[in-house]
Amino acid sequence: MQETLTTPSLSGPSQSSISTQDRSSTAGQTSSTGPPPSKPSTIPPPVKSKGLSSRAGVRRMRRIIAEDVEWSLAIVPFLTELCIQHIVKNFQNNPILKQLLPEHQKKVLNNLPPDLPLTVTANLIDDENYWRRCCLQRWPVCHVDKHGGSWKRMFFELHLENLLKHFIPSTTDPAVILNLLPLCRNYVRTIRVDQFLPPVQLLPPPQSGDLSDSGSEGEMEELATDHYQLGDLVAGLSHLEELDLVYGVKDCGMNFEWNLFLFTYGDCHSLAATVKACHTLKIFRLTRSKVDDDKARILIRSLLDHPALEELDLSHNLIGDRGARAAAKLLSHSRLRVLNLANNQVRALGAQSLAHALAHNTNLISLNLRLNCVEDEGGQALTHALQTNKCLTTLHLGGNELSEPTATLLSQVLSINTTLTSINLSCNHIGLDGGKQLLEGMSDNKTLLEFDLRLSDIAQESEYLISQALCANREAARQRALNPTHFMSPITAKGPENPGG
Amino acid sequence: MNPRGSLEVLEEKEDSAPILGPSIHSDNPQERIQARRLRIAARLEARRREALGEYLDGKKESEEDQSKSYKQKEESRLKLAKLLLCGTELVTNIQVAADIREIHRRVEEEEIKRQRLEKLENEVKTSQDKFDEITVKWEEGKQKRIPQELWEMLNAQQVHCAGLIEDKNKLINELQQELKTKDDQYVKDLKKQSDDICLLLERMEEQVKNVMKSFRQELYHIEKAFETERQELLTSNKKKWERALQTHNARELEYLMNRIKRVEDYEKQLNKQRIRDCEEYNSIKIKLEQDVQILEQQLQQMKATYQLNQEKLEYNFQVLKKRDEESTVIKSQQKRKINRLHDVLINLRSKYNKQVKLFQEENRSLTSDYKRLVTQFKELQKAMRHFAVIDDKQFQEIWLMNEEEAKDLISRAFDVDRIIHMQHLGLPWTAPDFWFLRNVGPISQQQKSATQILEEVLMQAEEEGTEESESESYLDLPKQVSAKTTRKILMLLCDESGFLIEKKLLGLLLPLEKDECYMLRLDAIFSALGIENEDDLYKLVNFFLKYQAHHLPPPQEQTSLISASETVEQLVLQGVKSGSLAEGEPQEQEPPPSPRLIHPNDVLKILEAFVMGLRKPRDFQVPVKLLKVVRDDSKDSEYWKALTTVIPSTKQNLWDALYTALEKYHLVLTQRAELLVENQCLERQNTELLQLLQQYLDSRINSELQVPPTQVFRVPTK
Repeated sequence: MQETLTTPSLSGPSQSSISTQDRSSTAGQTSSTGPPPSKPSTIPPPVKSKGLSSRAGVRRMRRIIAEDVEWSLAIVPFLTELCIQHIVKNFQNNPILKQLLPEHQKKVLNNLPPDLPLTVTANLIDDENYWRRCCLQRWPVCHVDKHGGSWKRMFFELHLENLLKHFIPSTTDPAVILNLLPLCRNYVRTIRVDQFLPPVQLLPPPQSGDLSDSGSEGEMEELATDHYQLGDLVAGLSHLEELDLVYGVKDCGMNFEWNLFLFTYGDCHSLAATVKACHTLKIFRLTRSKVDDDKARILIRSLLDHPALEELDLSHNLIGDRGARAAAKLLSHSRLRVLNLANNQVRALGAQSLAHALAHNTNLISLNLRLNCVEDEGGQALTHALQTNKCLTTLHLGGNELSEPTATLLSQVLSINTTLTSINLSCNHIGLDGGKQLLEGMSDNKTLLEFDLRLSDIAQESEYLISQALCANREAARQRALNPTHFMSPITAKGPENPGG
Repeated sequence: MNPRGSLEVLEEKEDSAPILGPSIHSDNPQERIQARRLRIAARLEARRREALGEYLDGKKESEEDQSKSYKQKEESRLKLAKLLLCGTELVTNIQVAADIREIHRRVEEEEIKRQRLEKLENEVKTSQDKFDEITVKWEEGKQKRIPQELWEMLNAQQVHCAGLIEDKNKLINELQQELKTKDDQYVKDLKKQSDDICLLLERMEEQVKNVMKSFRQELYHIEKAFETERQELLTSNKKKWERALQTHNARELEYLMNRIKRVEDYEKQLNKQRIRDCEEYNSIKIKLEQDVQILEQQLQQMKATYQLNQEKLEYNFQVLKKRDEESTVIKSQQKRKINRLHDVLINLRSKYNKQVKLFQEENRSLTSDYKRLVTQFKELQKAMRHFAVIDDKQFQEIWLMNEEEAKDLISRAFDVDRIIHMQHLGLPWTAPDFWFLRNVGPISQQQKSATQILEEVLMQAEEEGTEESESESYLDLPKQVSAKTTRKILMLLCDESGFLIEKKLLGLLLPLEKDECYMLRLDAIFSALGIENEDDLYKLVNFFLKYQAHHLPPPQEQTSLISASETVEQLVLQGVKSGSLAEGEPQEQEPPPSPRLIHPNDVLKILEAFVMGLRKPRDFQVPVKLLKVVRDDSKDSEYWKALTTVIPSTKQNLWDALYTALEKYHLVLTQRAELLVENQCLERQNTELLQLLQQYLDSRINSELQVPPTQVFRVPTK
């Protein structure tokens, strides 16, 4: 049945085209140019042939149009299709991809199931679409932008993160992670882990879930509570650039125990060694991990003269003046561009040492000391350092118990400095006079774009005027960015327009 | 906006002006050139304007031209920036509020902590005091021996300890209370924070929504602004376009009209041209047909001739064939002949050899004969020379004799003449003096040697002082050159070309007389120059004079040597011609210019030219000279004729007339005499005749003669 159907169907299009052609030709030309092949060789008179051919054409068309509604040309798929299907089916055992033609490769990749073992797919498939499918299947929310826009990288980074999050030292086999290493070493650039599980307590075996609820308040020996050592993993990842770690446990609920949030010295030493060995690292974040002065010093000592490090984030820890002093030392011994010590316990002394390092630094762009206790002494030292510094653009001193003296110094700095673009002095006690002085400083400044003075006891009037000045500066900056060649005239041209509008 | 627009319109008009004016696609070349010029000027202007006011224009445009959309954009941007700023502030306000709360909490916490620590310290102190008290009391208690006391003390201690413990417990309770409140606080904070986070989320969402909405709105506004601007632009452009289209249409119409007119013109021209072409074509066709006919005729003729020729050629061919056959026959015959002749040749050769021998013999004998003859000839020559000399001598002698005779005769004639003159006519007689009368011996036509002439010339010059009239020497007569000039020229030559004379000679010449010195000098010079005879000398003199004649009138004689040499050549040729002519007839008359004018410096040049010229004629004069050995006797007849005409014809006429007169006279006289004598004579005759007759008759001859004269001749006897 199929054969009988297929033969006419195969010859169908060509014949139909011929018939239509015939008709068109006979309609268009009175003299018969091309008689149909089945016609006798003698040339009939034109009128007769026309009638004949049209009738024949109609008949043929009738024969060609299939009575079957489901009739279609593609009843038998192409051999290539079959082959591709087969390849897809047996991809796990016999991955054939690179040998195929590009369009076939595409087809294969579109048809591959996303749950193939990574050992097969990791180094073989580069197609983003496939990895996108994998990601979307595993995680409902995917921010591919956070992973450099690459779905494959995202898949491996999230996969690795997932494994690290649920790794329980001395219980989980470390080979689980190390086996993944050769597969993901070329793709992972960022490790973001916001929880490290502590090892399971030996005495009472854990009952529910993977978290131990039985940890009594008794101080366990620290050695036992060391978390996963990142050393081997990081050493294997050749493109690692960002390390974002939080030594803590999420969602512990009522099973809260202090030692769940313990960043032990062992952890600290191993992490320091790891970071030191990783020469590609650019961003290092260790937040909310109870890093105190000593641990901070250990870490920072290992980071001295690091070849690539650009950003160091130790916010939400317990770093005091000594740690701040170590950070100051780091500033002069590295190419650090961003330093974040927000929400620590840095006081005047630490701020003074930081200011000393800052005065002659040419790398640091951003310094964040939010929620510390720098106070006027440290604030004055920092602002004094800004008089000589020509590099820093962002300074956050929010919530530092600063008051009028710092503001007076800062107003002087504002009229001199041309690199600062953003200052945050929110949540301080600057006071009315300090506000006025800052306003004076602002009147001479043309580069500052952001100046946060919320909740700092300033008169509303001066705050408003400062915001106006900032607005003008922003306009000027925008003009500069738009046409960098002759930016002087637009500034003068736009100058009078802005206050009005 | 408005001025800009009007400016643009103006500019556009300006731009369109050249299009209206001369067009590049015009037919007129002048117009095209102008159009191109205008285009170039417009381009240059545009470039200049661009270079000058680009920035200004750009700024203006940004401010004025796009004002509407630009304003809208700016407005929206500012609005959105404000909105964003406000939104972020609103969102971050929560963080700031949390921060400040945290700070306050910390401050409070610190304060509380400090108080607590103080309290704890106080507590520790007091409890320590109490503890110390209790321990002191323990010491005291050890000393007590009385049980009641001890018991009391123990009780008291217990009470104290209980108090202490109570204090501690109280403290613990307090702290625990505090902890609890802190826990509550913590829970509250947690709640608060979660609320904050909720608020934050809410605000963020709201913010996102707001921002989105406002962005959409602004986008809509901007789009609207752009739309309106576009509409405006469209309408204005449309208007412009329509205007342009109208002008274009008008122009198009104009072009069309022009074109139609032109087309008509062309059509007319075409028709004319066509007719003319047709006529031309017809005429040409007729001509060509005629030509064709002629050519066909010619062709026919040619064909006929061709046929004829063919037949002729065939005939010739046949003939030639026949001839060939004949020639083959002849050839065979010739061959046979050749064979025969060969035999003959062999015979002849043998004969020839014999002959050769014979002739050799003969030759030998003949050569000996020849030698003999040569010697004979030489002898003959000698004899001839001898005879010639003798002939000469004889001739001279004869000449002299004849001359003598003639002279005798002449002298007699002169005598007669004199007598006639003196006696008959009674006129005084003067003896005529002719050159030939003085001549003795045969006239020697041979050239006098140059030296001789020199001598003569010099002598003449000497004579000149005494007798001026003797200027016309017979020597100079044929040369037309006065002796004086000749002399002068020769002197000049002598003075100027001393280099030609040998030094030895000069030394020898010094003591001599002036004239002789000149003589010798000139002799030497002539020998050096190759001047041998009179002709050469006169040629030289003539040459000098001619040169002068040619060269003096144009004063630039010395300027160009080439011209000089050319003229010299001419002169030489002329001289040669004249020299050759001078032999036959006297030269053409030319006033001899004064030789004084010859500059001494020119002498050398003249000499050089002369020598150059002289060499040529010498070469072909040699054979002539050889012939001159034969004495030419043209002058002889002249001489002799002259001798005969010593008495001129007038005189002869005179003589004739005299003669006739005398004759007549004589006749009369004779008649008289005759008449006188006649009688005597006749008487005598008679006697004589009678005697004679007697004699004749007596002679015996008469008898011998058959017819005696006596019979025939009858003497008239009386």
